[in-house]
Amino acid sequence: MAHRWGMVIDLDRCTGCEACVVACRAENNIATVGEEQAGLSRAKHWIRVERYYEGEFPDVKVKFQPVLCQQCDAAPCETVCPTFASYHTGEGLNGQIYNRCIGTRYCANACPYEVRFFNFFNPVWDKPLHLQLNPDVSVRTVGVMEKCTFCVQRIKAGEIQAEAEKRELKDGEIRPACVQSCPPEAMVFGDLNDAESRASRLANSRRRTKLLAELGTRPKVTYLQRDSWHGDENA
Amino acid sequence: MQRRDFLKISAVAGATAALEGCGNPDHQLIRFVPEEDLIPGIATWKPSICTLCPAGCGLLVRVMQGEAEVVREGRLGLLKMGLAKKLEGNPAHPINQGKLCPRGQAGLQVTYHPDRIQGPLARVGPRGSGQFREMTWESATRQLASQLADLQESGQEGSLALITSPLRGQKRAILDAFANHFKKSLPVELAFFDDSTIRAANLASFGHALPLTLDLGQSNYVVSFGADFLGTWNSPVAQAIGFGRMRTGRPGERAKFVQFEQRISQTGASADEWIPVQPGTEGAVALGLAHVMLAENLRPAAGAGHAGLLLEGWSEGLPDYAPEKIAAQTGVKAETIVRIAREAAAHDPAVAILGGAAAAHTNGLVGALAANALNALLGSVGKPGGILFPPLLAAKESGISLEILASQINSRAAAAKVLLVYNADPVFSAPAAWGVRAALDKIPFIASFSSFLDETTMLADLILPDHSPLESWLDDAPPSGSARTIRSVAPPAMHPLHNTRSMPDVLLDLAHQLGGDLASTLPWKTYDEAIEASFAALYKEKGTKIAKDADEFWQKAQDQGGWWSTEPESVPASPAGAPSGVVKPRAPEFAGDPNDYPFHFLPFASQLLYDGSLAHLPWMQEAPDPLSTVMWGTWVEVNPRTARKLSLQPGDLVEVTSPHGKLEAPALVNPGIAPDVIAMPVGQGHQNFTRYASGRGANPISILSPLTVEGTQSLAWAATRVKLSVVGRGKLILFGGSLTEVSPELEHR
Amino acid sequence: MATKTPEQINDDLLRPLSGISGRYALSAALLAGVAVAAFCAFFYQAYTGLGVSGLRWPVFWGFYITNFVFWIGLSHAGTLISAILRLSNATWRRPVTRCAEVITVFALSIGAMFPIIHLGRPWLAFWLFPYPSERRIWPNIHSPLLWDFFAINTYLIASVTFLLLPIIPDMALVRDRAAGLRKKIYRALALGWTGTPKQWHRLETAMHVMAIVVIPVAVSVHSIVSWDFAMAPVPMWHSTIFAPYFVCGAIFSGIAALLLAMALLRKFLHLEEYLLPIHFENLGKLLLVMSVLWFYFIFAERLTTWYGNSVGEMPVFWATQHGSYAPLFWTMMFCNFLIPVPILAIRKLRSITGTAIASFTIVIGMWLERFLIIVPSLSHKYLTYSWGTYRPTWVEITITAGTFSGLALLYMIFSKVVPIISIWELKVGLRQVPHSARIIVEPKEVGAD
Ligand SMILES: Nc1nc2c(c(=O)[nH]1)N[C@H]1C(S)=C(S)[C@@H](COP(=O)(O)OP(=O)(O)OC[C@H]3O[C@@H](n4cnc5c(=O)[nH]c(N)nc54)[C@H](O)[C@@H]3O)O[C@H]1N2
Ligand SMILES: Nc1nc2c(c(=O)[nH]1)N[C@H]1C(S)=C(S)[C@@H](COP(=O)(O)OP(=O)(O)OC[C@H]3O[C@@H](n4cnc5c(=O)[nH]c(N)nc54)[C@H](O)[C@@H]3O)O[C@H]1N2
Ligand code: SF4
Ligand code: SF4
Ligand code: SF4
Ligand code: SF4
Ligand code: SF4
Repeated sequence: MAHRWGMVIDLDRCTGCEACVVACRAENNIATVGEEQAGLSRAKHWIRVERYYEGEFPDVKVKFQPVLCQQCDAAPCETVCPTFASYHTGEGLNGQIYNRCIGTRYCANACPYEVRFFNFFNPVWDKPLHLQLNPDVSVRTVGVMEKCTFCVQRIKAGEIQAEAEKRELKDGEIRPACVQSCPPEAMVFGDLNDAESRASRLANSRRRTKLLAELGTRPKVTYLQRDSWHGDENA
Repeated sequence: MQRRDFLKISAVAGATAALEGCGNPDHQLIRFVPEEDLIPGIATWKPSICTLCPAGCGLLVRVMQGEAEVVREGRLGLLKMGLAKKLEGNPAHPINQGKLCPRGQAGLQVTYHPDRIQGPLARVGPRGSGQFREMTWESATRQLASQLADLQESGQEGSLALITSPLRGQKRAILDAFANHFKKSLPVELAFFDDSTIRAANLASFGHALPLTLDLGQSNYVVSFGADFLGTWNSPVAQAIGFGRMRTGRPGERAKFVQFEQRISQTGASADEWIPVQPGTEGAVALGLAHVMLAENLRPAAGAGHAGLLLEGWSEGLPDYAPEKIAAQTGVKAETIVRIAREAAAHDPAVAILGGAAAAHTNGLVGALAANALNALLGSVGKPGGILFPPLLAAKESGISLEILASQINSRAAAAKVLLVYNADPVFSAPAAWGVRAALDKIPFIASFSSFLDETTMLADLILPDHSPLESWLDDAPPSGSARTIRSVAPPAMHPLHNTRSMPDVLLDLAHQLGGDLASTLPWKTYDEAIEASFAALYKEKGTKIAKDADEFWQKAQDQGGWWSTEPESVPASPAGAPSGVVKPRAPEFAGDPNDYPFHFLPFASQLLYDGSLAHLPWMQEAPDPLSTVMWGTWVEVNPRTARKLSLQPGDLVEVTSPHGKLEAPALVNPGIAPDVIAMPVGQGHQNFTRYASGRGANPISILSPLTVEGTQSLAWAATRVKLSVVGRGKLILFGGSLTEVSPELEHR
Repeated sequence: MATKTPEQINDDLLRPLSGISGRYALSAALLAGVAVAAFCAFFYQAYTGLGVSGLRWPVFWGFYITNFVFWIGLSHAGTLISAILRLSNATWRRPVTRCAEVITVFALSIGAMFPIIHLGRPWLAFWLFPYPSERRIWPNIHSPLLWDFFAINTYLIASVTFLLLPIIPDMALVRDRAAGLRKKIYRALALGWTGTPKQWHRLETAMHVMAIVVIPVAVSVHSIVSWDFAMAPVPMWHSTIFAPYFVCGAIFSGIAALLLAMALLRKFLHLEEYLLPIHFENLGKLLLVMSVLWFYFIFAERLTTWYGNSVGEMPVFWATQHGSYAPLFWTMMFCNFLIPVPILAIRKLRSITGTAIASFTIVIGMWLERFLIIVPSLSHKYLTYSWGTYRPTWVEITITAGTFSGLALLYMIFSKVVPIISIWELKVGLRQVPHSARIIVEPKEVGAD
């Protein structure tokens, strides 16, 4: 059976540390845009940690919510793309073919999660910062859309390795950069077609929610809501 | 215009643009013969050590073949070499178990930073002008050696000063030997967010000055006072891993986490219960909790042992700390204290943590003692789920503080002729009131090992740039984060890009040039020889069961990233080692009259820039701060009510004035900060620190009052009061749009 | 008009075709200057990157798409109105149809450029074109942008045909009166028209067929433009009302543009005796109906949104009603409804000046309407953390200004080449030949000299 990659993010564990944000930047050759462009809201963060306050001092609460491409099964970004640059792969991923993208930015409008980022200029790496670039990931040019790929290069590498060794992939063997780095292990990645995978099991937790589920995009990222302490339930 | 014409014209424009890219003669570089065998496209993973904060996490470096422009033997050319591509946690390392914080991952950018100093430099212009000339390593080391020889010959050995970040392992041993030879004392250790107050408290409570290690993965109840243990405090990656397990890692069990502080920190944001407390009264709250446990017989008073008895009134059940009595002073309701005390006592193992601002008040030491006593009372010292003290391989002592060094120089109580600075930026990291800048001006010769022209290095006469951590041999003995004893080691993950040398190698070279005693106490030619020697000693002590000989042990350690004990250990409390006497808890003191300076000033460690030493990394500048979402800048946090009172709009430029200086920064409204507190991240405000950090924002350290934590030499950095006034419109770059998840429009209807 | 003889008509309407006044040259040069500046701005943008515009995360569409919808909307002035008037046999239409049809062709051409101007990689715009390529990938027919591509091209072809067909006899008229090079050019343009009964018959049949064809095409075009928005799950875009609302808005802005063009032509080409108050009066009434209809649509849209009270839509709703976009919203309400309705409803005010003023505010109001559909929604999508703003830069403003001057310039040039009022149709009107007879035989009249 084909794989169906999915992710579970446990908001009870996420500490808002931003390790995932930097890991993704390092892995996926996401250029920094500099102060001026960042000031114009052109910074690119394939994953971001949304922070929301609730209530007023002293009864304040904070919620962190990492948001990356939800790899929707019914992805609005795909139907609107005129060139199939945003398309559905055989493994259910929302693929983004940079070479095919002509930069209509329609997909970014259609994506309810605002996880698509546009290259307003050619990316610049002040030499020799470019030496860090990951050769497994293409560098995007001006005028194209980019976004989280679920670290497809890691998925492919894992699948190819397993095939070369003539074995099945092990659960947890493939870990996107954000998942790999996350200190409290708030993120779990795995095959949703394998009912026994950790991701599948967690995705059935009583705390499960989907972001903007009401829109019918059928995301493959599941959020486990913050739990309460047992003492609080009696209070 | 018709569409066809338009397409034609753009095709021509495209072709012209494409032509420019080709045949640029700048790129006709010579090619060097590769120095190593690498298979193109195949990644190798090499262990290394993160040096960006004191936690000392273990790294795995992804190295792949690439082509770099490098200078070799004075010639610029292209070299096929192994290049670090990504940093990940070393899964085998007991501290970070394969994980990394955001700062650690940006360590790559230190190596590839465009503004790295590429070779030794000698000052040519006036001091501070930033005019240097390139020189060879031979003449650079000769120059420094002759300065040191002059000191020896003129009998002024004591006038060598050394300022470093807190170091460990053989790097520290080499530096200490060097300092000891000249100065007969230890180098000045400089870290803005240091742990010396906690260590001093541990010495008093438990008889050993070890930093603590948390075991959150097994805790059932966590009460933290001001410690940002998930962000920047102590060993944050290790603690975050434990936190994840404590939250949902044990089916059916989920610990409660209560945070007391003045401003919701990144850590406080994850608390189940967040309770604001008056600045400097965290220790009183801890004693209030202890009072309830004693009064309600939830724990026997004697259970706390020396750590409890140390505190005045402990045997009497801390009568002064009855919840009703401290409610007004601490701002915490009596019933809250009672409830939390009962909950903590009922959920074993429970642990109390005190750190950050709570330990940086004038009474911070007492606060830390109170937290220790509370832990002792809860029975969580040395127990799984509590606080642990893994044994250190070498005891850690500190030299004098920078404040004292500066005042000695300024008052001419001591003369410093030569200053060596390593991995520290004393001009940036010290309150202006300490007079560090003036003291440095009085030192005739300053040598810096820095890789970057920071504020201090700008003043240097000689710059001896260090390798980047990924290019050097590294060793470390992290004291916290794991209950196992750890000696980390790592060979260079890649060849150096520039004409740099590792600091310990330079010191060893100097020792040999100077000869005599110094040369004999430092018998090794290079740093890696020194590390190997220490591992040979370690083999005899700990390694005979795991390796057949010292060589194998050494090889294994290099492959794995170090040696660590297999079983968790905790040094037991031994009151024998503790100073005797009873401590009387005190109220905190603040600099600045509350009438003139109505607000408490709370500097805090930045999750991304840490203490400012990472402000030069563009990945850190452009990562949104977890709570404010600010990028590329700094800000001052104000409670919404306070903002309304001051008619302050978010983004307004405010002037923050303390009794010791003032600064300007844009204001940000933060619903999670007490109305009488003004908070500001440390990190920005560098005058000089590469193209990415220079001239950006303001440095809150500069306006701090020089109060110290009573009983230690540490700066009480949370003890300054300030006033605030709006001076104009500021510039604030926020990544996040709204503060609340539900639009305010919908809420207020 | 009844007093005019065919000869006078010929003289009056052919006069603008000969000679260029200093004022004409100066205005043309000014307009051309702005258009050239816009070209330069575009090439600068294409060379440097879209970053020179004010677009940003999350507002990825701004001025360019506003202009796109605006110009496509404006294009509904001509062909659609002219077709309706032709089919309903409104005899007063005769001096108006050509002015109208020209607007369509030019506005459509300009509007069609915007989807390319706004591309991140405009040099690859041809990938939208369904051609068999070596990668064997066709464009994605699910994408409303593809529907746009077909709809706009169809509409453009239809409108150009619709404009050119009735020009043929007038070209023949000019040909027959001209000499030298001009004669040669107009001979080519007249496509061999000699005015035989067969030719007249064919022309009339073709016009009738085109008039029928063009109506559904025009309706589909703006429906599809509306679906560029309505097909995306964006708050306040995803709405069933959008297609009729957009078509209504298009006709509304189209009539306003037509009235404005007529008022200007009347003044500058001295057509006071051809473009009569009755034309402004009748079109003004139509404009009044459209204004009320437009208000009905926006009222229905706002009311259902407000009652629906959906979490996703309300932030957009409030941002426009009393938030940061409210000044623009209320300006739009004034421009599209509160100002024009009294002017157009009170007979005394429905003068030529009155309708021109009303039309002017409506053109502005309808531009704002498009902006307010696009930007507030994009800046307030579902996750409040991602909320943002948008501010255009000089590049977008220059390009926008360039298209306005471009349209004016094209119109000026066109009126120098082709009689802006259909001469033969006027004459037919003069002779009161019953349209229903569908026999229009007046061969001698054209080309008699
Ligand atoms: N400097 C330099 N020159 C080289 C080489 C080199 O290593 N260095 N390598 C040589 C070799 S081995 C090769 S094979 C050639 C390759 O040379 P080219 O064939 O020119 O290859 P690319 O530049 O990769 O791609 C060509 C263009 O195709 C576009 N493109 C991508 N996807 C599609 C698509 O689906 N449809 C269409 N129509 N276009 C698409 C891309 O945007 C790009 O502009 O270069 C040769 N020249
Ligand atoms: N990301 C990305 N990947 C691509 C492509 C792309 O456009 N983008 N293009 C693809 C295409 S079309 C191609 S052809 C391949 C090319 O991929 P490769 O075949 O890997 O091409 P190179 O890396 O240019 O050259 C390989 C090595 O040969 C060495 N070499 C040079 N001359 C000699 C020689 O005389 N003898 C020997 N033994 N070695 C020599 C070079 O120094 C270099 O290390 O890459 C493919 N991969
Ligand atoms: S989250 Fe957005 S970009 Fe990702 S698949 Fe869904 S719609 Fe597309
Ligand atoms: S921006 Fe690129 S990926 Fe997105 S819809 Fe347009 S062509 Fe497709
Ligand atoms: S899965 Fe990969 S691409 Fe996506 S956010 Fe994580 S690191 Fe980035
Ligand atoms: S790395 Fe993990 S804990 Fe940190 S912000 Fe990302 S998801 Fe949350
Ligand atoms: S906590 Fe972060 S910065 Fe500190 S050592 Fe670990 S990875 Fe490095």
